[in-house]
Amino acid sequence: MELVITGLFVGILFGFVLQRGRFCMNSAFRDIVLFQDYALIKTVAVALLVSFAGFAIMDLAGVITLAPKPLWWGANLLGSFVFGIGMVIAGGCASGVTYRVGEGMVGAMTAVLGLTIGAYVTAIGFLSGFKTSLQESTKIMASDGSSLTLANVLGIDYAVLALGIFVVVVVVWFIVAWKKYEGDNEWGWLTTGFLIGMVAIIAWPFSAAAGRNYPLGITAGWIAIAKKLLNLTNPEVQLDWIAWLIIGTVVGAFIAALIARELKLRVPPAKRLLITFGGGLLMGFGAVLSGGCNITHILSGVPQLSLGSFLAGISIILGAWLMSYFMFVLPMKKAGSEE
Amino acid sequence: MTEEITPTKTLDVCGEICPYPDMNTMTTLKKMQKGEILEVLLDYPLSVERIPRNLKKQGHKLLKDEGLGGPNHRFLIEAHGLK
Repeated sequence: MELVITGLFVGILFGFVLQRGRFCMNSAFRDIVLFQDYALIKTVAVALLVSFAGFAIMDLAGVITLAPKPLWWGANLLGSFVFGIGMVIAGGCASGVTYRVGEGMVGAMTAVLGLTIGAYVTAIGFLSGFKTSLQESTKIMASDGSSLTLANVLGIDYAVLALGIFVVVVVVWFIVAWKKYEGDNEWGWLTTGFLIGMVAIIAWPFSAAAGRNYPLGITAGWIAIAKKLLNLTNPEVQLDWIAWLIIGTVVGAFIAALIARELKLRVPPAKRLLITFGGGLLMGFGAVLSGGCNITHILSGVPQLSLGSFLAGISIILGAWLMSYFMFVLPMKKAGSEE
Repeated sequence: MTEEITPTKTLDVCGEICPYPDMNTMTTLKKMQKGEILEVLLDYPLSVERIPRNLKKQGHKLLKDEGLGGPNHRFLIEAHGLK
């Protein structure tokens, strides 16, 4: 019962902040090349920085046990690259499409459907063999059998390194950006990023207490929900903490949209529904193959200095930029030059 | 006394997902002559916040930025006409 309550609680906070802050890593990465707009990438950066500091402090205080994902370079590369492509097609990252379900966006619901199916067949279904073999065959662990992180590669204590990176980046950013201030979303990038980071921090101890030692994630939650729906009458299949996190996220976004009077059932043209579904399938496949989606790797894994998550994060961005170029940047350029 | 501006063209992107409200607005504006007015109807919050920023960068003039209740929004934009 506790895991239901804490999962829902953290999820509702997460969904609320996601909706108010329009937080979406797909937009964050894509908008850089498409609009040269940096509002969301700054939000992501702040969320990451807060997580760096928060995780490091929790590690020092013994509140959490580090759990970086392993480096499966082949699976990280391919899976996350495909994920990046998929999220641009779907119009949102894993957390983005999840929270937008709560806002009433049908285009996000079809994306989530695709995400769930793609993830399910790769985690448990007919593609799971491929996933496991690619992960195992490209796995590189540290000499003591733990996951490779920047900390153990450099031989520096994790907390020291994470806090050090936090301080350096904050100082440099402050100095560089002090003069320029660009436009902002309603809930500023600093506020949103900070709150997302805080949710990430409190999520970890709650999740660990429920048996899942990891900060925020998304895809695994949808898989667990699918599993339960396919086994409704089987009492041995239960929703786990992350499934309740997902449910809470949709509810939190719903509440936020309701309060802001932004709740509306939005239906895009039929072809869009098909396209977002297809994008979702790629996201689901890619996320499970790589061992995580954008939240698991970028928000939760990079602050733990996991090399696998670093590689995954870079691959997601590259895949997203490639797809954004062909899907949006080129057509926009052509529209300008044709008469 | 305020004059009601008659738009040259209306673009309704309600229901559309990210980034189509922005994209369609920009590409439509690119094809318009200088001084023509584009009316955009949309209901996607991120685009409501992002389009004005991009208009400024692109040099189009945002004449009107009004909420229509709930997430529904309306922009009136004057195209700069540069190709």
